[in-house]
Formats: sequence, structure tokens, C-alpha cells
Amino acid sequence: MRSRHALSSAGFARAIESGGRYRKGGGAPLRAMTGSPYLKTTYPSDAALLGTPVRRFWLAVFGLAALGFPLVGTPVLMDLLCRTAVAVVGAHALNLVTGYAGQVSLGHAGLMAAGAFTAGILSEELGAPFWLALPAAVLVGALFGVVVGIPSLRLRGLYLALSTLALHFVILYLASEYQSGRGFATGLLVPRPKVGPWTLAGATAWYYALGGVATLTTLFCLNLARTRPGRAWMAIRDRDVAAASMGVNVAAWKVLAFVVSSALTAFGGGLWAYYLGFVSVEAFSFFLTVEYIAMVVIGGLGSVLGAILGATFVTVLPYAVDAIVNLVPVPDRVHTHLFAVKFAAFGLLMAVFLILEPRGLVSVWSRVRTYFDLWPFRYHPLKG
Amino acid sequence: MTIPLLEVSGLEVVYNHAVVAVQGVSLRVHEGRLVVLLGTNGAGKTTTLRAISGFLGSDNAEITQGTVLWDGQRVGGLQPYEVAGQGITLVPEREKIFETLTVEENLATAVPARRARGESRRESLDQVFRHFPVLFERRRQTAGYLSGGERQMLALGQALLCRPRLLLVDELSLGLAPLIAGNLLGILERLRAELGLTILLVEQNVAAALKIADYGYVMEHGRIVYEDTAPRLLGHADIQEFYLGVGREGRAKSYRDVKQYRRKRRWHG
Amino acid sequence: MQLLANTLALASIYILLAVGYVVVYRASRVLNLAHGELMMLAGYAFFGLVSATPGHPLWAVPAALVVSFLAGVGVYATLVRPMAGHPLFSAVLVTVSLGILLRGLVLLGWTADILYPLAVTGYKNVPWPLPGGAVLTTIDLLSILMAVTVLLALWGFFARSRLGIQMRAAAENPLLAAQRGVNIHLVFSLSWGISTFVAGVAAVLYASKVRLDPEIGVIGLRAFPVALVGGLDSLAGVAPAGLAIALLENLAIRYVSPLLSDVVPFLALLVMLFVRPWGLFGTKEEIERV
Repeated sequence: MRSRHALSSAGFARAIESGGRYRKGGGAPLRAMTGSPYLKTTYPSDAALLGTPVRRFWLAVFGLAALGFPLVGTPVLMDLLCRTAVAVVGAHALNLVTGYAGQVSLGHAGLMAAGAFTAGILSEELGAPFWLALPAAVLVGALFGVVVGIPSLRLRGLYLALSTLALHFVILYLASEYQSGRGFATGLLVPRPKVGPWTLAGATAWYYALGGVATLTTLFCLNLARTRPGRAWMAIRDRDVAAASMGVNVAAWKVLAFVVSSALTAFGGGLWAYYLGFVSVEAFSFFLTVEYIAMVVIGGLGSVLGAILGATFVTVLPYAVDAIVNLVPVPDRVHTHLFAVKFAAFGLLMAVFLILEPRGLVSVWSRVRTYFDLWPFRYHPLKG
Repeated sequence: MTIPLLEVSGLEVVYNHAVVAVQGVSLRVHEGRLVVLLGTNGAGKTTTLRAISGFLGSDNAEITQGTVLWDGQRVGGLQPYEVAGQGITLVPEREKIFETLTVEENLATAVPARRARGESRRESLDQVFRHFPVLFERRRQTAGYLSGGERQMLALGQALLCRPRLLLVDELSLGLAPLIAGNLLGILERLRAELGLTILLVEQNVAAALKIADYGYVMEHGRIVYEDTAPRLLGHADIQEFYLGVGREGRAKSYRDVKQYRRKRRWHG
Repeated sequence: MQLLANTLALASIYILLAVGYVVVYRASRVLNLAHGELMMLAGYAFFGLVSATPGHPLWAVPAALVVSFLAGVGVYATLVRPMAGHPLFSAVLVTVSLGILLRGLVLLGWTADILYPLAVTGYKNVPWPLPGGAVLTTIDLLSILMAVTVLLALWGFFARSRLGIQMRAAAENPLLAAQRGVNIHLVFSLSWGISTFVAGVAAVLYASKVRLDPEIGVIGLRAFPVALVGGLDSLAGVAPAGLAIALLENLAIRYVSPLLSDVVPFLALLVMLFVRPWGLFGTKEEIERV
């Protein structure tokens, strides 16, 4: 297994993140120089997710808390966490294509709509059960991923983003034609997922289901990121010409990035449809795309942890605004126009994050870690 | 001893809040002199130049210690156009011209520094075309289509139109055929003589650079390890071995063994 | 003939808005996705000024334009300038967040009610008969006139004047331009100011002709494909692109369905992206940027 730092020009930053420099085969003086105990001397330990005791400990704590949460959680909180879980899936999907592969995609809402509508249409028109409709949604997403991926071979950056945006509008147009043409003016109803005698209903059940799905998705993305696809995508993101000259099949990997991302996005859309029990085209406006982009950017592009942090932040924000407005005395107008306030607050926070912390919450975290890793030194020393 | 035009003292530059690129760098450039900064890749020469000219912001780097004194005033940390206004002009290593503009338009973008001589724009432009006739021939051509040597000439011409007192040139001969590089270095020396320019030149082509320079500094791993007048540098045995490829019997020497190299070591494991 | 008249009228609004995208893109290489919302803001500023000066409504027009110009400068100073060293994607996202913020603030301040600034001024938008049985209103004619004037003025500025050349240089490489003495902050503020100024012109015309509500920014978003089809860095391309897309839209309304006409600009965009991504008159090198 090749070192994950080989291809990425951001590898240097990652080296800092992983806690000091490391040498294969061990070297004693280095420990004293950097003061960091996180030396890695074998390949498996380098790629390990839970390589240090500290990480294992905190993950265990977090896992226990997450599993036990329904015992103390209110329905509102459980609902919030379920929404967060779906957002995490969508954020991971967007992070794969935009953060890792560097292909800006503005069609996120359209793809979620594709997944949601596929699940809705199949269960409504054909009475398909969820274990057929959801994979079908994933397949539809993958197909759209191919459609979106083809322009990526010719276009870059802004122009590619625009072609994804155009696709978004096309999908929404199709969905709205369907919705009005088939008489579902207010939207499609989606029945609860059923497997045999078990129906997925109730806050707790959904919490565990969605939490589990989100965890699996996170693992999936982590594994993609630290193995060959992730390295290929990062290489393409940083310098695709250089990547091609190193033997990375840029075309194939680009299309694959879109396919995987779109499939996962459609999956998220399908989940959303089942969770809400309801699908309507109005829910999938361009603003939804903006929300997901905000999640990925505020969290930190190109980082799995960032996607989770960002998804949580953006999902929780309206609830936080609610809480603040109820606690702090504000003019009546704010109460009557709460939606506008939430809207404006989102815009403001997104702008603030982009200006002050463009590398996202993850970079704040990595600065904290670097500080403690290097302490009592302030910087990595010069060699020689 | 006259006050140097440019004085850098104890400069320390940090990238990304975590990595030191340059430490304890001190150099002096007196008016009318041509000083050369030598060193291999990664020594910190470009970082030093960019720190002087205010370019660091976009590299996510900052000056954490030390001062840059220009004519007695601090300029470290100023915006690039403020530094240019003071009379310091940098010809960078990469991205030195505007590729989508024509040659003429490239030259039109230069704004003369505040305390420039009372020459008219027309005269300055004629002077540039006199030094670089090929620019006149290609004046309506889009700059992106110029060859490497022509680009470098355009970059120099543009820099001259800013009427600098101090010209910082980063890797003049990078990517150029030796003949063209030598030609350009010769033009640089002529400019210094004609216009009384002060020049700080970063160069990897040590032999050619030391021939036209007055004084030289050698950088390694972010520190200045040696400085001397140019003729003495050319004759220095270690410079000859490390940079000029003049061989030595027996095993190759490491610079660590050389006592003359002064190195400021602080905390080091 | 009416089709042609309608096309010219619609195209002129599209052209005025598309020019704003092009000017900002040429100058700061940023795609200002808040352009529609800035136009909306200008419309509300116009309404506010008109309501505040009942006796002299016509003064509200230049006043609103001045406010628009200053809004552009303000946007640059507070949002775009701090993003100077950051990747382009982030800068574009900042404009998106600005759009959201503005929309929220306007909703908060004026609610979603539809307003009619022209009614407040007391003027009426009279139709003028044209040869061939077509009809155009005063505002339509004004729009066409303004579109032509703005195009000519800006083209002259960027191609000939020294400041225009410096703006193009600063657009390509702000750091290098700064080192050559160009005051890039002045140059960028100016370009943003010009962009919102022209958007203000479009806003005043549109709000007077049709209506004012928080959704009129959508017109701004539809003008964006116009800018792209013409070439994002090309002022020359704005006119043919605007005319073509306006024509296609009017044809769609007449022969297919009004729903389709909303999507027409984006369909045109899709086609353009496949056939000729840099637009009709854009520089091919643009593709490699971002």
C-alpha cells in the first residue's frame, strides 16, 4: 500500500495534521525534536483510522453516548439528529466530488430530488417496497452521475459547475412536470419502509436506522478517501495534468467521482423521502444545494470529519436561531418573520465562515491539535 | 559607512502558522550596488524576496520576527502596491507578466513609483524599447505567446517603467538558454550602470551572477551561512565545490564540516 | 413584429444585467451570484426613495443609482476584498451567501408584498405605436436606449483607457498588478460599483415596468446564462447573446409553454457549454482558469 502522502500536494499539511513528521523504520532523535508521541513506523499504522489510544477512547465515549441518547432525548432533539444524519449522508456525497475530486457540483438538490422522486414514484405508482425503491434511487443517481460526469471531461471549474446547475434545473423541470401532470400538486406521499412484518416508525427507530446509515456512509467515505480512489481524486484535484502524467486515468476517475457522489446523493434523497414520508419539488430548490455546499465548506472541503461537522452546523442553525430568539428579547417583527431571520442568519454565517475560516471548522480543529502536538515549540524547526 | 538602502535584520517567515521557511536572515544592500543571493532550491531565497516586496499574504505566510528597513523606514508587512510605491519592484519567479494582455498593454499597466525622476512616460517607454528591441517588434502581440526570454524581457521592461530605486529579481535565468540568460544578465548590469539602479538578484546560475555582482550572500535551509564580496566568493574553495562543480580529491565535504560557515543554532535536539 | 419588439425589450434588460456579471468577472474574476439580489436591493432602494420624496419623484432615479454604486463598493470592501488570497470557489460562495443575506433582510424589512414604484411616482408607462403594428412602452424604449449606451461606454473604457487596461491586468493577476503600482483596491471597488450601478439601472426600469418583490432577483439569475453564452469576459458578446436568448424565450412563450420559457436560458447555457464553453466571444483561455 503506497503512502497516502505520495500524490497530494496537500500531503504536507496532512503530515502536520497527523502529528509531527514520521520516518519509516524508526529514528529516536526525531521524537525529542518534535515532542510528539504519534510516530508511525509501519504502513498499516499510518493508514489506521484509530491509530492512537486517545482516538480509540474518544470514539468509544462518543459511540456510547450516541447509542444511549434515545434514553434522554426529546422528540424534537431526536428529529434534529435524524435530519442531521440525512444531511451527513448528503454532505459526504458532495464532499467526495467537490472536496476530494475538486469538481464543483451545483446540481446537488437536483440529484437529491432525483433520488427522492424515484423512491416516491416507484412506491406510489408501482407499490414497490423500500428495499427495491431505494436501490433504484441509487441507480438513477448513478445514471445521472454519468450524465453529469461526461461534461467534466471537457469542462473545468466554473463551466463544469454551471453544467451541473443546468442539470439541476432540468431535473426539477421534469419533476415538476410529473408532479403537476399526475395531479400531485401538493406532493407525493411515501409510505413507511417495511421489511416483512417490521415497519420503520417512531423517533427511536428512525434515530438508530439513520444513525447507523450515517455511520456506515462515513466509514465508506473514509475508506474511499484513504485508498486508491481518494488518492486519485486528490491528485486530479490538485493538478490533473500532473496526475495524468503519473498514470492516473483522469477521465475514468472524474466520471467515477460523479457517479459515486450522485448515487450517494440520490440515496440521501431517497432516505429523506422515506423519513419525511413526503416528496415535493419545492423542497429541492437551489437553496438546498447552497445549504449542502455550505455544509461542506464550513466543515472543511476535502475532509470527512469536515462534512460531518458542517452538516451538523447547518442543520442545527435554524434550531439555534429559534432558541436564541426565544431567549433574547427581540422586536416583534423578528418573531413574525422568523423564516426571513433564519434565512438572513444563514447567509451571514456562511459569509463569516468563508471570510474568516475558509478552510472550515476542520482547520480550527487541526490548529488546536498542531498547537498541542508541537508544544512547547511554536513551529516545526528548520532542519540542518 | 553609509546607511544601506535596504536592510533586512533577523527576518523570520512562517508558512501556514506552522513551518519556518527563513530564520534570522540579515542582509544589507547599499545604493547602486548589485547584490546576489545564492543558494539551492528550498533555501528560502524566493521567500526572502517576497517578504521584502509584500507578496507573502497570498502565500499564506507571514513575517513573524525581524525587520525590513527601506531607507531607514520599516516596510515589512506593507501591501504590495504600497511597497511598489516606495520604489521597490519585484520581478517574480513565476507569473511575471500579464498573459492575456498585449505587450503594449502590459507596459501600460506599470505605475511609476512616487519619488520617480521627472521623465515623461514616452521617454521611459522609448528607453525600454531601446534595451529590448524585440518588445517593440512584438508590441501588439498577446504576451502569453511570447517565448521565455521575451517574457523575461517584458517583465524587466515593465519593472523598469515603475521607476524603481531597488529592483528585486527572482531567478532571472530560470528556464532560459545560457546564451539568453547571459545576455539578460548583461543587460541588467548595463541598466544598473545607466540608471543607477540598486539590484538584489536571486540566482542559481552562480558563475554568471557573481561576474556582475558586487556582493553576495549564500543561503542554506533558510539561513544565511556566508557572505562576502563577489570576487572573493568566486575564488572561495567551498563555493567552488558546492555551487560551481569544481571537484576536490577524496570524499565530498559536507558544509557542516566547514568552520567558516556561521550558523545560528538555537534550540535543536 | 410584436415579437421583435418584445424581444428587444426583454433583451435590453438581460443585457443590462449580463453586463454586470461581465464587468465583475473581468475585473475580479469572481462570479457575482448575488447580482440578482443586488438588483433587487436597488429596486427596493428606488421604491424607498420614491416614497420618501413624493413631490420630486424623478430625483429618486439618480439617487437610487448612486446607492447602487455605493452598494457595489461596499460589497467589495466588506466581502470580496477579505477574500483576496482565497480560492475563487470561496469568493463565489461568499457572493451566494450575500445573496441569501440580502434576500432575508429585504423579506424582514418589506415582507413579500408586491410593490409598484411607478404608481407611487404618479407617472404612467404609455405605449407607443411602432411601424408594423407593434407596440412598445416608454420604459421599453428607455431600456433599449440604456442598454446600447452602457455597452458602448464600457467597451470604450476597457479597450482604450489606461484605467481600463489596469483593471484587466488586475483581473488577471492582482498580486502582480499591485506590485506594478496599480491600486487594486481602487480598481476593484470601481468595477464592482459599475456593475451594481448598471444593475440599478436595470432594477429601476424593471420595477417600474413590471413590479417589485423579493423574487425579482430571479431575472438576474436568468441573465447569468446570457453573460456566459456571450462569453463571461466579453462585453461584445453580451448583446448577441441577450438578443438570441430573449428571442428564444419569446418564441417558447408563444409556441410551447410559459413554463419552458423560464428554463430557456439554462438550456441555452447547456448547449453552449457542450458546443463552445467559452461563449460566443469569450477568450478560450478562460477555460483553464478557476
